[in-house]
Amino acid sequence: MPVDLDYLAPSDVEDAVALRASRPSAAFLLGGTDLLPQMRSGRRSPETLIDLKRIAELHEIRENADGGLSIGAAVPLADVETHPLVLARFPLLAECAKTVGAWPLRQRATLAGNVCNASPAADTAVALLALDAVVNVASTTGRLAMAVSELFLGPGQTALMPGDLVTEVVLPGSAAGFRGSYQRLSRRKGMDLATVGVLVGKRDGARPSWRVALAAVAPTPLRVRAAEELLEAKGATAAREAAELAVAACRPITDLRGSAEYRREMVGVLVRRGVESLG
Amino acid sequence: MSAPVVGTDVPRVDGLEKVTGAAKYTADLKFPRLLHVAVVRSPHPHARVLDVKTEKAARMPGVRALASGRDFPLHTGIYLKDQTVFATDRVRFVGDPVAAVAAETPELAAEAAAQVHVEYEPLPPIFDVEEGFAEGAPLVHPDLGSYEVVPWIRPKAGTNVCNHLKIRKGDYAAALKGSWKVFENVFRVPQVQHVPMEPHVSVARVDLAGKVEVHSSAQSPFTVRHLLAHCFGLPHGDVRVHVPYVGGGFGGKAGINLEPIAVALAMRCRGRWVRLMVDRHEEFFATVVRQGLTATLVTGVDRHGKVQAQKMHYLWNCGGYGGYGVNIVRSAGYTCGGAYEFPNVEGDSIGVYTNRPVGSAYRGFGMQEIHWALEQQMDRVAVELGIDPAEFRLKNCLGAGKSTVTGQVLDEHAGRVDLCIRNVAKAIGFDADRERTPYRGKGIACAVKAPAMPNDAASSVIMKFAEDATLEILISGIDYGQGLMTVVAQFASEALDLPVEKIRVKGCPDTDLSPYDWQTVASRQTWATGNAVFRAASEIRGKLCATAAEALDVPAEELTLREGCVVHEATGRSLPFERLVMGYQFPDGHAIGGPVAAASSYLPEGLLFLDPETSQSAKPVAKWTFGAQAVEISVDPETGQVTVEKVAACYDVGKVVNPALIKGQTYGGIVQGLGTGTMEELVVDTKTGRATNASLMDYKIPSTEDVPAEMVVDFVETAQKDGPMGARGIGEHTMIPTPAAIANALWDACGVRISEMPVTAEKVWRALKAKERAERGEGVAGEAPVPAGTIA
Amino acid sequence: MKKTITLEVNGVAESAEVEVGQTLLRFLRDGLDLTGTKEGCNEGECGSCMVLLDGRPVNSCLVLAVEADGRTVTTVEGLSKEGVLHPLQKAFLSQAAVQCGFCTPGMVVSAAALLRENPTPTEDDVRKALAGNLCRCTGYKQIVDAVRDAAAAMRAGAEAGSDAGKPAEREEVPA
Repeated sequence: MPVDLDYLAPSDVEDAVALRASRPSAAFLLGGTDLLPQMRSGRRSPETLIDLKRIAELHEIRENADGGLSIGAAVPLADVETHPLVLARFPLLAECAKTVGAWPLRQRATLAGNVCNASPAADTAVALLALDAVVNVASTTGRLAMAVSELFLGPGQTALMPGDLVTEVVLPGSAAGFRGSYQRLSRRKGMDLATVGVLVGKRDGARPSWRVALAAVAPTPLRVRAAEELLEAKGATAAREAAELAVAACRPITDLRGSAEYRREMVGVLVRRGVESLG
Repeated sequence: MSAPVVGTDVPRVDGLEKVTGAAKYTADLKFPRLLHVAVVRSPHPHARVLDVKTEKAARMPGVRALASGRDFPLHTGIYLKDQTVFATDRVRFVGDPVAAVAAETPELAAEAAAQVHVEYEPLPPIFDVEEGFAEGAPLVHPDLGSYEVVPWIRPKAGTNVCNHLKIRKGDYAAALKGSWKVFENVFRVPQVQHVPMEPHVSVARVDLAGKVEVHSSAQSPFTVRHLLAHCFGLPHGDVRVHVPYVGGGFGGKAGINLEPIAVALAMRCRGRWVRLMVDRHEEFFATVVRQGLTATLVTGVDRHGKVQAQKMHYLWNCGGYGGYGVNIVRSAGYTCGGAYEFPNVEGDSIGVYTNRPVGSAYRGFGMQEIHWALEQQMDRVAVELGIDPAEFRLKNCLGAGKSTVTGQVLDEHAGRVDLCIRNVAKAIGFDADRERTPYRGKGIACAVKAPAMPNDAASSVIMKFAEDATLEILISGIDYGQGLMTVVAQFASEALDLPVEKIRVKGCPDTDLSPYDWQTVASRQTWATGNAVFRAASEIRGKLCATAAEALDVPAEELTLREGCVVHEATGRSLPFERLVMGYQFPDGHAIGGPVAAASSYLPEGLLFLDPETSQSAKPVAKWTFGAQAVEISVDPETGQVTVEKVAACYDVGKVVNPALIKGQTYGGIVQGLGTGTMEELVVDTKTGRATNASLMDYKIPSTEDVPAEMVVDFVETAQKDGPMGARGIGEHTMIPTPAAIANALWDACGVRISEMPVTAEKVWRALKAKERAERGEGVAGEAPVPAGTIA
Repeated sequence: MKKTITLEVNGVAESAEVEVGQTLLRFLRDGLDLTGTKEGCNEGECGSCMVLLDGRPVNSCLVLAVEADGRTVTTVEGLSKEGVLHPLQKAFLSQAAVQCGFCTPGMVVSAAALLRENPTPTEDDVRKALAGNLCRCTGYKQIVDAVRDAAAAMRAGAEAGSDAGKPAEREEVPA
């Protein structure tokens, strides 16, 4: 860590945004579970850390008029995965959040942090993508909302501009009620990055809706709308076909955790299983 | 005699320190004005070192000492002196230390280290052991022939072979020719790392009188002292080594590690304490690892399923240096028959230098690696012959009257592997006619090991009393988790009939004050230090009784020890130890005796060198511990994921000294075995020589969620003739057979064999796919290669 | 850059000047000589550095000391009170859940946090809660047994009305 590293802890969003604007080499700090290791490895070298955790509004989980939820940027994953409204309306988010790291890590790691870090293997990003989440962003030009589906550009890259501050992640009421599974293959059952992550969700109704989203098998978390549309048209009996569409959509690489070939096959297996279990 | 203490769950005597956070490990110790070290390490796997420029670094702020190869050109190494403190003319692996800086803060040290300029001339690197062994391979140690080496290690000058042990028993060629069936298979084991929870750390000071003092996370304080004295040309008495609590060693902290660099720097800033800590990243590739192995086995059996001819060809991937690794090559060689009697044997255990991280002692000392090969081989033979794998093992295993590959004939005290096999087979339900469920399987594997140590490796003990008759026992065996301090207390308690609460084991040694111990390795401490404890206790008993006899005016032979008193049974008179341990004072004032203390040692008896050409020896090792494990697994056929549902383990330990502690050793060994068996491998990029997964994020060891749902452990007690109360060793054995048992269970579950550790989901998946294709007539069954760069 | 922080550590008010880049882990170990908490990996993977921050179990190697300004920290040293062991510490001893001891402080702290939140954990709950604490020695079985044992002892103690091992209130994150 650099000896001249500076640290500021503003108490409101506008201050934080202004501070960041005046310090181009600053970085926002939430849980620090990605940022600190990245600073140690030299991957990132901010000269100032702007800690957002003293900003009260970022700690709230609010119910919105449309039945959705706004989750403040500083809310740790451990609180997200146990929140009654998350469990009731967006259980898939809790399912995914529970797989991140281990319990103590989730006392610090945040949804906003996961999103901004933009790892292709980000388990929570998969859920946010599937649930049509939106991030609210504050910047020097004011506040705006950005769909998570527009957010991820590549490994570690988002559409956010330098200085943008994610204030909350919003789950729309229209995405409430999806149930299903997040299946994950990793080298061990304990804390590990996903080799392959597959979310399959279904919302019952006159015309059931489906969600299929993948982690760790493309440069970004991936939603497979073609598979969703197929399932909406044909139901769970189209499990194999849907799985094939997911396989066709993914672009995995070979790395320490698995080969591209294995990952591709596993996408097919897990999507099929995920759909069949909801049939 | 009061109730026995040995054989009971005496709570760890060092437990209170550990649960409260009071226990001090090396990095917890505070030193005034401590200097911090940054090491300049080779970025090349193989290169000549042309020049090392340290002038700029020397002028950096806060720098107090600098050292590099030319300052300390002496070779060091416990068995083969092939390494210098810093690389001098050549670097041999990525991470090889070239220079080091000590500065006022870690940041200043790192900045200065970055200003050391090293000029390298890269040389062609070797990573593959077959490549290193091949004729005409680039030489990693061109001067191999000039290195000092102990007489029982045989490097081959002009090659990359740092040791070659040959076993020649009976007439292998003839026996092979006469075999009914012959099986030949190749097995591979990659390098893995110990991953102790406490990374290596050493602190050193050379004072203004030139005396060296070291605090180190080490398994062997006296070996550290010995090698430092040799390396720096100092009398042993001027080198002092302390070992505080150690957070796991597993062999990686045996011998000598960071100490020479710390001392070298300390010599350059006399009076200052210098601390070298490696971070977790460096721990993976810049300390030591377990050697890799490529093993070719040939087995010839007769019609009755008895092995008649056995050939083992081991190529050990030793990495850049083999100072310690050469002994693994040797001991694995003379144990190559495992738990079996092979009447005709041709064994070649060959250590090969490559430009990978340094292979050294790791729990098992080659045993897990060779058992991976041997136990799968035995299984394959059994399956091919249609013999139940447990029955096949019982048919071929060692026992009283049978001879090992070195021609040693075992007697009835040797330990009962047959009972261990039967025990685990029963515990796992390994009946030949068991009900079969698709993709569930059971596998069995045996284990054996003897301590791999010099024939004169000794342990000693000092016992003394405090005024309140607390017995203090000084040992230099290190309790880094296995429970040695507690075992010592139990033995002493039993020997002197003194409650454990009245005993204090001083187990953080200081070579100035503590008694000599060769090393804490080889599963030898319970046995060696244990024996020394009984000898010292016997002396203590003699002294107490001699004084008491005079005090009570009775013959000493009529006295016994009971509950902290010396008792004369005939008359009921007694004297508590408190009245004797500082001498005894008569009513008229005159005193006899004096402070009661004893020192004793234990050195293995009758160990004989192996014949240099055949390795035949009637008693090459002190003791064998046999055991077996059986596992039950389930396989997800679509993903290849293997779940180890249940493990049964049984070892003939001679005497269970502390059931709770020995169970802990066994559970821990099983889980470490599960780790190396299913998820661990140190991946080295063969373009750069760098370890690509040198972090806990990328190198996974088992967590709480990876443990088998059920672990059943049991023990046989066939007394070791020369063991303390019959005990032999167990520390390493508990992880030896686990991977092979899993591989054998995998075959049982779904008919695929993985011959290269670790057994990962992707490997299983590929093997199942290949099997399917073969069954459809589309290809050859067997393993399909996995792309380079993956462990999976 | 240096900042002054004020925090409560194991019930004692502490004030110190720290470098911004210094982790809470290093501050505890070097600044306050509370060496019970260990440095095993410095990347949040091994759990040896576990402490409670406002009652939450956190990897102190991933927390900067400045972030703990105004907060409460509990380390392993704070679990025993004047020589009286926490039920978890007692259980770790009685269940032989300690070998080399390096992971033990982190384990006990994580387990203490678990039992505060869930006084009746199943074996699965314990395994999940401790999945971020690595141990190379024990194979975890006796550790899991110890945690469940301690949970039972604490329930029995609470039922009997004793204060021993009574879970302290977790402080909410200040708004």
